[in-house]
Amino acid sequence: MSPKKKTIVTIILIILPIIFFFGTICIGRYYVSLKDVCLCLWQGVTGYSSGLSTETIAVVLQIRLPRAFLGAMVGAALAASGAAFQGLFRNPLVSSGILGVSSGAGFGAALAIVLFNNIFLTPVFAFVFGVIAVILSYFAGRIDNTSPTITLVLGGTIIQSIFAALISLLKYVADSATELPAITFWLMGSLASTKTSDVLLAFVPMVIGMMGLLLMRYRLNVLSMGDREAKTLGIHVNANKAFIIISATLATAGAVCVSGVVGWIGLIIPHVARMLVGNDNKWVVPASMSVGACFVILCDTICRTLTGGEIPLGIITALIGGPFFIYLLKKTKGRNW
Amino acid sequence: MSLLSLQNVSFGYQDNQPIFENISFDVKPGEVFCIIGPNGCGKTTLIDSILGINQPQSGRIMVADNDLHKMKPKEFAKNIAYVPQSHTKTFPYTVLDIVVMGRTYATKMFSAPNTAERHRAIESLEQVGLKGFENRLYTELSGGELQLVLIARALAQESHIMIMDEPTAHLDFRHELMVMEIITWLVKEKGLTIIMATHFLNQAFYLENAGVEIRVALMNQGTFKAIGTPTEVLTKNNLKDVFKIFSSIGMTDEEGINQKFIVPLKNIR
Repeated sequence: MSPKKKTIVTIILIILPIIFFFGTICIGRYYVSLKDVCLCLWQGVTGYSSGLSTETIAVVLQIRLPRAFLGAMVGAALAASGAAFQGLFRNPLVSSGILGVSSGAGFGAALAIVLFNNIFLTPVFAFVFGVIAVILSYFAGRIDNTSPTITLVLGGTIIQSIFAALISLLKYVADSATELPAITFWLMGSLASTKTSDVLLAFVPMVIGMMGLLLMRYRLNVLSMGDREAKTLGIHVNANKAFIIISATLATAGAVCVSGVVGWIGLIIPHVARMLVGNDNKWVVPASMSVGACFVILCDTICRTLTGGEIPLGIITALIGGPFFIYLLKKTKGRNW
Repeated sequence: MSLLSLQNVSFGYQDNQPIFENISFDVKPGEVFCIIGPNGCGKTTLIDSILGINQPQSGRIMVADNDLHKMKPKEFAKNIAYVPQSHTKTFPYTVLDIVVMGRTYATKMFSAPNTAERHRAIESLEQVGLKGFENRLYTELSGGELQLVLIARALAQESHIMIMDEPTAHLDFRHELMVMEIITWLVKEKGLTIIMATHFLNQAFYLENAGVEIRVALMNQGTFKAIGTPTEVLTKNNLKDVFKIFSSIGMTDEEGINQKFIVPLKNIR
């Protein structure tokens, strides 16, 4: 890619999420103009009264702002983790859930729903079990103090199916009038129940994880050469792998624990990013974050505006993402992929 | 002083089944140390040990007076560069992205190679004859070009020792000769020391004829049967013992080049 084109793409990737972010706050059954949104945000930051109705201020600051913010974070975190795992496992078909974090989180959420039926404990359980699942996968795939790529993927697949079975078990024993629908909706993923407390809970692990991935992004190129070459090129393969797995797990677990299982993003967005900026992970990881943030904001806006009720996010991401991806594939003829 | 020395090194995947046993040799600065032997004789496993991928069961491997297995990956890459036997292509990186990875050990953990390192990588590409290839996708290269790119990556490491595991496997005659010319240039002009494994015995004669300091180690069933110059080691009798073949050794006189060559004739039944 020529430097000029690179500059243009970089600028677009920085500006686009900001446009989407403000756009989604404006849009909804209760329309708020961009000027009013800015006034509300200004009031939120400075406390200086904007003169707008309390209704408008409540919609913007308490409902749409946390939801837009969380959507952007979730999209960026899932896409960046997906990009990292694809590089690490040298496989364009793995996603952010390959080491079982989504299944583990799903199990944790289902467990909290069945045991306590408490909306505050659900994200906490989801986060903890997401992390536990990855730890189990990591040790399942570890052989003689090394973690070969293929056994890690196998370990992840096994742990995923164990947790999937446990989720089914919990669904089976759950109260079919109240708990079962709650579990099912959680597993479809949604940002509908976003509360400021969720944002704060998920914010810390997502930011730490994404920082880790941004810092290590060049090493993904080297790791994608395979363990043997990466070692002879002068990096400590196991330590680097562990660092990336921990970062991606924090980012994904943070995202999944508040949004539920949103498929697609960790698989597809990194490919969209590669089509835009090429394959050097120095660019792929930040570009994935930008595209992921835009994509989740867009899908979530559709979720809450298309019908009178809320459509689960996981459904829209697949319905929008699938055709969009096919379009991109045809347009680029899969060359950069 | 020896640059790399193996002292009674043994290795096996299972305790009582050694792949190779009591291998000792010193590699001198500025020579090609060429390991030759039949399939399954332990060449690649030996190379893996020198790369620090296998931990020897006994014996020591020393790189300029440091124990190889105590070296940090960074230090290792500074001393030894590796050209793999085969490379599984993953994502369509540009050729420059691949070559600049040779500078990884000189790059801090949280950063990417800078412009100076990228210039060094472009220089390495030019040195292997791939000027102008830097923005091509490496997944779209031919096998011969890919091999040259991997050599350029090793060259970009600027280490004293280069290890090549069958550098001309899958290459056509033209690219095979290009690799041989590069090896000659690396040793004679750049002063590198090369350890290579090969199945193409005539390459040893090529390098000997090109005035390169070369020793051949003939490996069979986990031990060295003979070490010496190609003329000393690659004899009809040795080939008969190790490869179980009848062969003929001749001498070319085309193009003013007098170079020995081996023709395998038939298997010993």
